[in-house]
Amino acid sequence: MQELMPNLMRRLPEFWKACGDTLLMEAWAGAIVFVFGLVFGIILTVTKPGGIMQNRPVYQVLDKIINLFRSIPFIILLTALMPLSRAIMGTAIYVRGVIVPLVFGATPFFSRQVESALAQTDKGLIEAALSMGSSPFEVIFRVYLRESLAPIIRAVTITIISLLGLTAMAGAVGAGGLGDFAIRYGHDRNMQDITWVVVIVLVIGVSIVQWLGEDFARRNTH
Amino acid sequence: MIELEHIVKNFTGGIHAVNDVSLTINDGDIYGIIGFSGAGKSTLVRCINLLERPDSGHVRIDGVEMTELKPKELYRARTKIGMIFQQFNLMPSRTVMQNVAYPLRSMTAEQKRAKVRELLALVDIPDKENAYPSELSGGQKQRVAIARALANDPTILLCDEATSALDPQTTGAILQLLKDLNRKLGLTIVVITHEMEVVKNICLKAAVMDAGRIIETGDVFTIFSQPQHQVTRNFVRTTSNLSKIETLIRDDSPMVRLKKGEVMARLVYIHADVSEPLISYASRAFDIEINIILADVEVVAGVMVGGTVVIFNGERDRINQAIEYYLSKNINVEVIRDAGTDA
Repeated sequence: MQELMPNLMRRLPEFWKACGDTLLMEAWAGAIVFVFGLVFGIILTVTKPGGIMQNRPVYQVLDKIINLFRSIPFIILLTALMPLSRAIMGTAIYVRGVIVPLVFGATPFFSRQVESALAQTDKGLIEAALSMGSSPFEVIFRVYLRESLAPIIRAVTITIISLLGLTAMAGAVGAGGLGDFAIRYGHDRNMQDITWVVVIVLVIGVSIVQWLGEDFARRNTH
Repeated sequence: MIELEHIVKNFTGGIHAVNDVSLTINDGDIYGIIGFSGAGKSTLVRCINLLERPDSGHVRIDGVEMTELKPKELYRARTKIGMIFQQFNLMPSRTVMQNVAYPLRSMTAEQKRAKVRELLALVDIPDKENAYPSELSGGQKQRVAIARALANDPTILLCDEATSALDPQTTGAILQLLKDLNRKLGLTIVVITHEMEVVKNICLKAAVMDAGRIIETGDVFTIFSQPQHQVTRNFVRTTSNLSKIETLIRDDSPMVRLKKGEVMARLVYIHADVSEPLISYASRAFDIEINIILADVEVVAGVMVGGTVVIFNGERDRINQAIEYYLSKNINVEVIRDAGTDA
């Protein structure tokens, strides 16, 4: 081990901390993104023309805002949102400081994913539920969310993985985590063993998330 | 009673989906609404439970004006109007039990189970409660859908092309089930279809729709035997063998080539007492030959309907006398081809 990856072995505590920071960013940002994205995705779906709570102004505004934030490169979002971060979280650095830009970066993406997952729901099911006296809210919870469980799980999987990419970038502006670790040592000081180990850890992480998601989605498909 | 008054529904782009339709459907009726696709019948039936809100007009069910109900009252009212669909619309992530239990409210799990079992027995698939819809055949799916639509003991059942995705045999079985439910539960059934067979099979009354309007209403027997409108005639022909004569004529089949003096005619029974030997009697009484090319007699709404295509051969006077005789017997005679006489 010592010979194979000398640089890493000398910085093991720092490596574990980087792993922990990445997980922390994923967990916090992921949980918040999940809630907001789900809500926005549902609002987009039901207020869209022909939706069960059709509402043109709400749909148009939300649609445009999501497009706006999806268009801003994440690295710009990171610095642009620093004042907001300081206002909400009290700091613009470390894990705490990067949660706000991570949420702004990933929520629009996940909202669209949820929207397209819900769009796969057969229109006939909605119609049948309404004909049985379901209110729009019942349709959301008992038909849309329940019947789209598998595609929503797939959307969550994809979002967790793309969020992982964002956390690596966040590392570059002082958030810490595996991305930061790989850039500072692997890239800047050309310690190739560190680059490789980080890549392997990320590949394993992505694979586990992907596999869990697929398995869960499959078990909810009949 | 379902009363529709001057219903108008337009879709964006100024298309008249339903254009000033008024219709009354009595309790316990099986009422057919027939039309080609795009005629507006699906939109019209959705105006009954307000899945489509009419732009103007009144929808009254048992005297209650549906268009004025508050949202909550409307949801409640809809539980008393069951609806089934061409594509069944069962929830794929739920078992048969869960699907049928979907509309049940304010019941314990135990009560729900009991109610679902009762409904599944009613539609004759008691052994499928734990199956998923993907494991069922089309006919079984529609039975589950019917059970689900009946869960809250509605008084009305709307059927939107409910048998159009099924094979003829299964269609027959589902129609029989609907007929039984109508009798057993006193259910008012509204049947939307583009298949004349379906209307002929179970409806007593029907309306024919074309381009957003109702062009003909009445009891099914009358619509069948005396269609007033060209669209209706086309529908009636789709179910009758007699329409084959047009194909034979177009193809100039040897069967329909006439010799001098011959007359080809379509005889259609209207108020038919087909028990009389009409052909052989006329043949003997007027001393002419009557050759039957095609015949089609069937039972519509419990009454015989049908006719024959024949070729008369004999002296012209006598042929005319035979035609007079048929007309006096309430048989509609339509001369299709006349080869003329030498004289």
